[in-house]
Amino acid sequence: MTEYSRMARGVFTSTGAAQVIYLPFEPNVIEITNFTAAGTPAQNGVPFASWDVSMGNGGGVIQAFNATPVLTTDVMSAGGFSTFDAALALQYGAQQQIASISKASPAVVTTASAHGYSTGDIVIMQGLYQTTTTGMPQICNIPFVVTVTGATTFTIPWNTNQSNYTALSASPTGAFVKKVLYPFLYSPEVSYISAVATGTTTTITTTAPHNMVVGQEVAFRIPSTWGTTQLNSLPNEVIPGSPIYGYVTAVGSTTQVTVNIDSSTYTAFNSNPTVASVPGLTHPQMLSVGDINSGGWPYTGADLYPSPTVNGATTINGPSIYGAFVNNTRKGFIVGAGSGVTLTSTVLCGAASDVLKWKAYRTDI
Amino acid sequence: MSITTTGNLGPMILQSLAPAMLYVPTPTMNYITVADKVSMPSNGGTTCRFMRPRALVPPTVQLGNAGIDPPAQVPQRDIIDAQMAFFGTGCIINEQVILQDQEGVLAWVSERLAVAMRQAEDLILRDYIVSAASTINAGGGSNGDNPTNLGVSDFSLVAATLDTNNAYKFMSGIEGEDKFGTGPVRSSYFMLTSTELQPDFDGLTGSGFLSSWNYPNNTSALPSEYGSVYNVRILTSSEAPVARAASANSRDVYYNTVLGKQAITHINQDGYSMNLIYRDPYYSGMLAQNATLAVKFAQAQAITQDTAIRNLLCTRSGN
Repeated sequence: MTEYSRMARGVFTSTGAAQVIYLPFEPNVIEITNFTAAGTPAQNGVPFASWDVSMGNGGGVIQAFNATPVLTTDVMSAGGFSTFDAALALQYGAQQQIASISKASPAVVTTASAHGYSTGDIVIMQGLYQTTTTGMPQICNIPFVVTVTGATTFTIPWNTNQSNYTALSASPTGAFVKKVLYPFLYSPEVSYISAVATGTTTTITTTAPHNMVVGQEVAFRIPSTWGTTQLNSLPNEVIPGSPIYGYVTAVGSTTQVTVNIDSSTYTAFNSNPTVASVPGLTHPQMLSVGDINSGGWPYTGADLYPSPTVNGATTINGPSIYGAFVNNTRKGFIVGAGSGVTLTSTVLCGAASDVLKWKAYRTDI
Repeated sequence: MSITTTGNLGPMILQSLAPAMLYVPTPTMNYITVADKVSMPSNGGTTCRFMRPRALVPPTVQLGNAGIDPPAQVPQRDIIDAQMAFFGTGCIINEQVILQDQEGVLAWVSERLAVAMRQAEDLILRDYIVSAASTINAGGGSNGDNPTNLGVSDFSLVAATLDTNNAYKFMSGIEGEDKFGTGPVRSSYFMLTSTELQPDFDGLTGSGFLSSWNYPNNTSALPSEYGSVYNVRILTSSEAPVARAASANSRDVYYNTVLGKQAITHINQDGYSMNLIYRDPYYSGMLAQNATLAVKFAQAQAITQDTAIRNLLCTRSGN
């Protein structure tokens, strides 16, 4: 340990899912103590675990209780500790063969082998042709948030149960899915629209988390293929040249907002473009252009001046105006939800409500 | 007779350092070039706020002769907030390196740190534009993909979109001259794109593309300017964003940012745009062994005219 080494510690309460820890460095040594599991020895509890960079991302060493319960040891080859450096956009995970996609809402994607995704991951897909003129190429390259339903299945928030979509089957050549490794580096970002509910206010459903807040000023880019072009910020028939914007009045969910635009008389949204329209098909988008907020981010009982949150996680850069454009680049490590190679019923990040204490190091030598 | 060779009487010192350092491959940094520059004051908080008035309704209805004033309008404005962020990197250099190395290590490390900082500024702007600007998929090409490769109609479409949005062009055009092989250049927006697309631009020669070498006066061309198509002048860089294997047919997707004036703004804070920090070994541990060299800068960025910027996505004509 030399004077330029980095050390950090912290505590988190497990949700039962992988836990992301932000740090100003990528550690090369990590140790965790599951305080709850250590205090109440029970089979498959993992009170202690550690990782060294030489084990590679996803690896780890665990101490876990056997049936007695007595501590025993195991190693992890996947779902263990990993580090990340979320600095640059357009980075993707390995592409995986798509075996099939159903005609359904939401559409069910089945991969040819275990996908390894977690609910909340963002993916894009390519090559969604069943034949040269059928399939689902309309949704290629749209970022979708996934809901994992099995080792080889997940759903995407899009209605493919429409006339111009043909189910994919038998692992079409070139049909791939891959994970967007570092989404939301800058927030709020452009969101792709999967549905528009018109009315005296307008409810927008997006294909991935929009990261918008009440008071966000938004613009729309909806090509004519998709119907509701009256939402577009331009052209403006009343004041030619002056863009028309809406404001977010409610955030229904991570993928749904309500804006104050009366769209009662607007054309219905159409998410059923033809396959023939695909070369040059531009997807419908919603983007933030500003906000009307003037205060900081809401106080929630912790820091007096909290940092903005993006996709449910606190950014690392201190307070800002609610709704401002923020930088969400970040580094750190992930405590995975994987198990030991032998002790396959263990879970590294513990059970929901377990309290875990962690230490992370970046050593000079 | 014996000949004395370098095999049995070699030079005492086998190597000498060439007088000049080799160049470091460095991309052109186009994003910072076209960004508006704003400095946020010190003690000005964490967030830079921009205000853009909205247009009032033009009074196109005549007053008539009733002598009654029309209702007043309520002026409105749009507010854009951007949070300042700080960045930095550095090197720890043992005094023995400084003492023993023949080359001026502190000098060239300082230079590399400065370039790294400038490149970071550019990459941050690049990725911010990728994240926050809306996209148009090219459809004017012939490769059948989505997006297609670039056709001249895509340039025409994106320029018409920005013109319809009343965006301001960057350049006023270059008047034609009586020189063989040259042609006038229109008033233009900029497109920031990848060097990998240069063969595709060359393929449009004769159907709209004019190489910067064929400008009437190419001293008007920027160093990274490859040419122009209609109302778009093309700046290329090897660090332009590319989503690999991301098109409908798994080709690489290129993010070509087409923008007008004030579309994107780069913000620093009170001259904090760059600090080069050298700390003598005196400030390190008990034996004062290690010097540090570092750079630090503050930067925020915002799309300040969302109607004046589009990412025109395309693929290449081949694979």
